[in-house]
Formats: sequence, structure tokens, C-alpha cells
Amino acid sequence: MQRPSIHELRARIPVDPIPHAGPNRLAPAPRSRQAELAALGAPSSPLGHWFGELGMAPDPGANPPAWPWAAGVGQRGDGCPIDVTDAERLLVQRVTFGLTNEELALVSQLGYEGYLEYHLNPEAIDDSEMDRKLRRYPTLQESVRKHYKRAVNGDYSPAEELIFATAWRQAESKRQLYERMVEFWTDHFNIYLFKDGCEYLKPADDRDTIRAYAMDTFPNLLLATARSSAMLTYLDNAGSYVGSPNQNYARELLELHTLGTENYTQFDIEEIARCFTGWTVDYRLLSRDFGTFYFEPSYHDDGGKTVLGYDIPPGGGVTDGQRVLEILSTDPVIAPKTARFVGTKLLRHLWGYEPPQDLIDDVVNAYLSTGGDIKAMIRAALNPDKIGCAAPKLKRPNYLAVSAVRALQASLIAPDYLAYEMYYLGQYPFYWAPPNGYPDSLGYWSGNLLPRWRMGLFFFNEQVGIRFNINDILGAGSADQKIEAINQKLFFGQLPETDRAELLAYLSVDPDDRTRVEETVALALGAPGFQWF
Amino acid sequence: MSALKPKCCDEYSQLSRRNFLRASAATLTAFSLPAWLPRIAFARDRGVSRDVLISIFLRGGADGLTLCVPHGDDDYYNLRPTLNIPRPDSGDPFAAIDLDGFFGLPPALAPLVESYNAGHLAIIHACGSVDETRSHFDAMTFMEVGKARDLSLVTGWLGRHLAIVPPMLPEAVLRAVGIGEGLQRTLVGAPLALPIPDLANFTLNGAPETKNARLDALAAMFAADPSALTNPALYTRDTVALLEQIDFANYKPFGGALYPESDFGYAMKSTAALLKAQVGVEAVGIDVGGWDTHEGQGPRDGYMASLMADLAAALAAFHTDVLGGGVMNVTAVLMSEFGRVGYENGSFGTDHGHGNVMMAMGPNINGGQVICMWPGLAPEQLYQGQDLDITIDYRDVLAEIMEKRLGSQDLGALFPDYTPTFHGVAN
Repeated sequence: MQRPSIHELRARIPVDPIPHAGPNRLAPAPRSRQAELAALGAPSSPLGHWFGELGMAPDPGANPPAWPWAAGVGQRGDGCPIDVTDAERLLVQRVTFGLTNEELALVSQLGYEGYLEYHLNPEAIDDSEMDRKLRRYPTLQESVRKHYKRAVNGDYSPAEELIFATAWRQAESKRQLYERMVEFWTDHFNIYLFKDGCEYLKPADDRDTIRAYAMDTFPNLLLATARSSAMLTYLDNAGSYVGSPNQNYARELLELHTLGTENYTQFDIEEIARCFTGWTVDYRLLSRDFGTFYFEPSYHDDGGKTVLGYDIPPGGGVTDGQRVLEILSTDPVIAPKTARFVGTKLLRHLWGYEPPQDLIDDVVNAYLSTGGDIKAMIRAALNPDKIGCAAPKLKRPNYLAVSAVRALQASLIAPDYLAYEMYYLGQYPFYWAPPNGYPDSLGYWSGNLLPRWRMGLFFFNEQVGIRFNINDILGAGSADQKIEAINQKLFFGQLPETDRAELLAYLSVDPDDRTRVEETVALALGAPGFQWF
Repeated sequence: MSALKPKCCDEYSQLSRRNFLRASAATLTAFSLPAWLPRIAFARDRGVSRDVLISIFLRGGADGLTLCVPHGDDDYYNLRPTLNIPRPDSGDPFAAIDLDGFFGLPPALAPLVESYNAGHLAIIHACGSVDETRSHFDAMTFMEVGKARDLSLVTGWLGRHLAIVPPMLPEAVLRAVGIGEGLQRTLVGAPLALPIPDLANFTLNGAPETKNARLDALAAMFAADPSALTNPALYTRDTVALLEQIDFANYKPFGGALYPESDFGYAMKSTAALLKAQVGVEAVGIDVGGWDTHEGQGPRDGYMASLMADLAAALAAFHTDVLGGGVMNVTAVLMSEFGRVGYENGSFGTDHGHGNVMMAMGPNINGGQVICMWPGLAPEQLYQGQDLDITIDYRDVLAEIMEKRLGSQDLGALFPDYTPTFHGVAN
């Protein structure tokens, strides 16, 4: 399969018609707003981002707003502005892809720690309704061999169904924390679905590697990714031979999967590349393991190696690579560095952009004392005593779209529409080509706001795929009452006052006009108060 | 102009360390306005005579030994027994196109010959960032912020330049565009800068008659809630109004230039339309991905050849359309985070290396030459025993362009703690 261009992808995606407005005036704003702006001391521009992603420097764009509900609530003893009720609400936002009445009721019933434990045991959560719905995508359960055969015949439905199922699960699976971790590891061990071969190998990687080990231990997950035929293909190790090995996987294994950019040399990378020669994909047509991991001894460099100061004796065969993974994830000297790199990134995902040192230490210690148990790391990251200091995070596009669908209580008649909306927003699943995964930073996502502003009316216009009604808002009476209904439905009672004032002003022009109400709902989904979590 | 305007206009005065560039009288050549151009108040010939800069970044570490082939160096063929471009006189169908008796272009870059021969394209070889990193992400960051390993430096060299100099068009609402979802680090720090994935589709959906009111409401909400989103929101509101007036869909390139139907071709074509509209955009950042060729590189007629063919076709079209027409003061510069290892690996690819090429294109570039101090490719001449060495720092090239073509008088702010040497890239 050729790498599809964005134009080809677009051609497969339903067109969102944009009426051409023709010549337009540059409308001046009302005078009253000029004063507001004059007082504004906002940063000068959106900030791009590479460093913060790797934990080397603070995210330069890290300037989230104050919590909208922070004003007026009691201060906690530690000086952090979130009280117990709000901590529970924040936990739901961190653990899920957006608030729902159901999750809020659950946290209220179980309490902070009970709710966290509930989500830390996804296998105990009944998700049969999701499983039943996903029968619509039968390729999710098929073997790699079947996916390969389909691809040979020009059928890429396994890749498409994986994309659509991913969006659907984020929106509707009851195992929300599990899905948030699948999201995290999918970025951490990024594989571009549109690289040659990955279109039929990644669907199995998602099922048998990422989803299978998302809440297992990091060493097990790391080993599974190293043996993943999709990873071996994406980072070119499948074609790495003795004599002139391919360094791509070796480098990203250190830089992106375990240690970050410090603590090793170019020599280490060359030696690790030698260790992994022979780790390839089984393409023997009659093999029972077709399309999965295969060690080919004749490709392997069986000489002795030195990795991160450890001697690996000659003749180790497939165990050379296993030894490297062991050193990186369990060695008493090296594993703490891996735990720090991965733990900091996990905190950025679950807690906030700039986790404090003591919290990072907690997560590192959780890793080291449990052999890298991912659930223990999550428990440390979401410690109820420390969640109160977490600052808001900007919703990434997938979270934004999913949180909107959840709040609207929409039925996903055609879940592909939700995936398409993620595409418009700039975060189509598995569509990030470089190996570092979609950024999790304010800087990267804060510039391109227009798709966020378009999202609401896209949903209204695509009821064929995403069905919901706003009867509760339409029937609410006065403009004030309608805005309050929007507050309850989309903001769960915490619509920021500054957003409320503008929404009310907009709706008040014609509060009984259905189109006006829909536009107001769309504005609410584009408002600052809906962009953060 | 819009009254709901971002608080940006005093930024450059705060940042400027030296005198502003003296704004000279308009020097842009007048030409009759075609129908697709906006009929807006400031689409006129005025402003200062600084070049607009198109900063093109080849993401992934493009192989400089293929982009500009040192066919006169026998060691090149020793390093690359299979992944080479044959000598020009070899009679091979994939033979290099000779440039100066020593260097040549691979056949996939043939469309660049015209601009090279016209004196508008300079190639700078054995060039790059001297830092030893082979990490894509560190190497890109170091180049884009203008200094290696300085964690305090978060803005880009081009962003800082725009923050220092006054706008070319005082009433501009958009001074820099990064084509993409997120702003390139190169442009971070620029006032009035936005990432825009598609210039031609930058508007709000829904009923046209309420669109401005909805944009006003959105901008007002973000203005009332100061955060990192506030200025992007205000820029977005103003930029929608700006870009809607350019009919990108009916844009007719000059001279019959034909842009390829690719992401890069589309970006360059849209950029051409944007620049000709003269709305005050001073810098455009464009990324071209896919250069991380560890496996199956295919420099002759394979994967990399197709990437190069697309790159060259789009640049050649831009040359005909914008530079060849002689109406625009535009410079384009191409760079990549590092070159690739001299030796090919066992999977017909190359791993992360060091020295590379840069290219500069424009009417004010001293083109038609390969600028270099060739370090050689013999084993003892290779960087760390494996790569093309660097004899020209990438900052030399950028600094020269920034001073001579973009009016920078503060290169120290762009490239801290570095004293550039000029190599005659621009005039």
C-alpha cells in the first residue's frame, strides 16, 4: 500500500461544506470589549513543543487558566485550591474521557479512592454492551494472517475498523481509565498505521500488545512492544542484519520508550542495534505464527556486546535483546532512570503538565517497589492528597470530541463520524508519523482553535452519524434558563461566568429560535470553559 | 482594522535591543491585480523592502549525500555501494545531473536545475548543526531555537526576529503562519503567528450571516479568560476575516506553474497565493515529513526519489510562480535536523548521521553554486568515523539571510552566543 496522502484521506472523508461568505468586512468589536483587551496580559503566541514532551524542560506554553470553580471555595491545608468535592470531580475528568452524570454519581457513591480502585480493575467492570456493539467491526478479532490476506486483496478494513473502534471505545466503554491508558501507551509506543505493513500489523498490535498489557507491568509491556511485528516493522528492526544493523529501533527504544535523551551514548545504540539483529517478523506462509515475532538466527550478530556498561557474552542469540530490555526495565541502576522518564510522562498524562518533584518521586518509587506495576504507578500519580494541586490541562482533540459526545449523551450511529471529527481537529487515531506519538502539551495544541470552534455545528450537521437532541435546552424557557440548561448539560454546573455572559448575550438576540440555540450550544463547546479538564 | 485586536503591538518595542530597521519607501513592483486577489484596503504596494522568508524543514533527517551528490569524490561510492547516484558520465539512467564538475543533483531533483541555472538556487554542503545529538527531536529543537542544549531558550530564531522588528505592514493581523496543526518551534515567539493546516479553508462553519457575531462571541470569551489560548483566539478571529478574502480555490499561478497534488505542493501553492495578496505575512513555516530513511531508501527510483521528486516539483513551481515572475521579494530556505550516516546499513537504508545540505532559493540569493568547504569522505575525514563532517554551521546560512534579506540587526538575539561567518549565500 502506498502511503496515502492527506488528500487521499480527505477524499474518503465526508465533506463538511463551508459556505463561501464572499467579500467580508473586518467587523470592529463593540467598544466595551476594547477595555477588556487593554487589560489583557496574555502570552504572545502559541508555543510549539518538542522538549516538554521528553521531560527535558518545562512546556513553554504551560499557562493554563485558574480553575473556574476555584474562586470562593475553601482552601486546602496544603495551599492547593481544590476541595474534596472538586477533587472527586477532577479525578473523574482525569480517569475518563469527560464527565457524565453516571460517572459523577459513581464517584459520589464510592468516594475518591473507591472510584479509583473501581477503574483500576477494568476486568471487573461489565463492558458487555460495548463488546456487543463492537461486533460491528469483526476484523478486531481476526488473526494477523487474515489481516494480511485482506491487505493483499486491497482490503484495509482492519485498519479502518481499528480507528473507528478506538474512537467508539473512548466514548462509550465503561472501562474509561483503561481506555485512557491505552491512549497513553499508544502514543508512548507510537506506530504510524499508514507505514507500509503497519496497516495490517498494527490492528493486532493494538489488541495483543497495547490493550493486553496497558495495565500490566511496564517490563511486560516493553517486552511485548519489542516483539510486536508492527513495532519491528515501523522502526525497521525486522530488516536489521548482522554486519550493518539498522539503528532505528535501538535509538527510539532508549530515547522514547525508556530513558529519554540522557544516560547513554551513541556506542550504546550501536551495541543495542547488534543485540536486536534477528528480531524480525515471521512471513513463512505455512507458519502457525505467521505475522508475529520470529527470531532468525542467521540475521543475528552473535558476538559479545557491551550495553550501558554491562557485558553481554557471545552466543546469546535471542536472549541478547531480552537482556537489553531487562537492563532497561528492571536493572537496579538503569530502571530508576526509565521509571523517572516514563513516570513523568504518565503524570503529564494523568495529573498535569508540570508535576512536582515529590510526586514524580512517588511514581518512581511505586515502579521500583512493584517491579513496574502500572496500576501502582497510577495509584501514586492520582494520590488524593496531591491531586488538589493539579492545574487544568488543555483537552487534546480526541478528548475534546469525546467529552462533547459524552456530555451530549449522543448515540454513535456511525462511530466513524467521531473519528472523522478527530481528523478535522488534528488527531486522527494512529495518524502521527514520527515515533514520539501525538504531543501531550499545551504548546502544540493551543494555536489551532478554529476546528474546536467548528466542532459543535459539525455535530449538529452530522446527526446521521452522531445523534443527540437538545430538547432539555430548547424547552428551558427564557434565555437565562436555556443557558443554565447548557451549563447543566455540558459543564455539569460549572460554566465559567465569563463564558456565561457571552453565551447569554449571543442567545438573547433570539432565544426562541432553534438555530440560534444550536449556535449557542456550538459556541459553548468552543468556549474556554470546555477546552480544559 | 479590527478593534478586537491582540495585545501585540508593543511587543517588538519591548524586545528590540537596537534601532529599528528604517522603514524605506515601498519598493514592491506594482502589478495589476488579478481577480482572485482580495480587494481590501491594505492590499497595496507599501511596506519595507525586506524579504518574506519561507522556512522549509525536511523532518526526519534528509540524506544530504543524495540531495546533492559529491560525484567527484570517489569515497562517496565506497560509502554507498548500492545507495548511490551514479556519476554524470556513467551513462546510467539514474546518473547525477552535473552542477559544477564535483557535485550533482539526483535525477529526481531535475526540476531544480532551472532555478539553479537562473542563479536563484544555492546549495550549501557539509552544513548543519555541530551538536553531536542524533535524536530527531533534540536536533530539531536545537536548530529551531537557534542554539544547542540551552533549555532556557524556548522560542524560535525566526519568532524572535519577528518579535524584534516592526511589522512590514503596520496594520497586519497575521505576520507568520506555520502550515500545520501546531506552530513550528522556529516561529514560536512571533507576534501574530498562527498554525494553519489549510489556508484555503480557514473559516467558521454554519450560517454566514451570524458568523461574525459568533466569532466575536468566541473571541470575547477567550479575551475575558486570559490563558495561553487568548491570543490564538483573537488572531484566529481576525485571520478568518483576512483569509476569506483570498479566493485560494481560483488562484492562478503565474507562468503556468504547475504545483504537484501533494501536501507540500498544496502548501506552497497556498503560500504563493497568500504572499501575492500582500496582507503582511512575513514568514511561513512548512514541514515536509518522511525523510527518516532507515530502510529501503531508494535514492534513484524508490521511496526517497519520490519524496525528492515531489519536493523539487513544488519548489520549481514556486520558482516559476513567485520568484520567476520577479514581483516578490521572497527567500526560501530548506534545512533538516541532520544528515545520514555515510555508510549504508544492511537494510538498504541509512541511520542518523551528522553533516547535511541546506538550500536557499530566491531572487536575492547568490545561486547557481554549491557553497562548501568539502571535508572529504575518506574514513579518517568522517565525523566520528562515519558521517559527513560539518564545515559550515547552519547558523551562518540563516544569519546571513536574516541580516541581508530580512533586515535583522540583532543576530545575537537570533543565534545567542554565536558569531556567524558569512559565506556569500545572499546579496
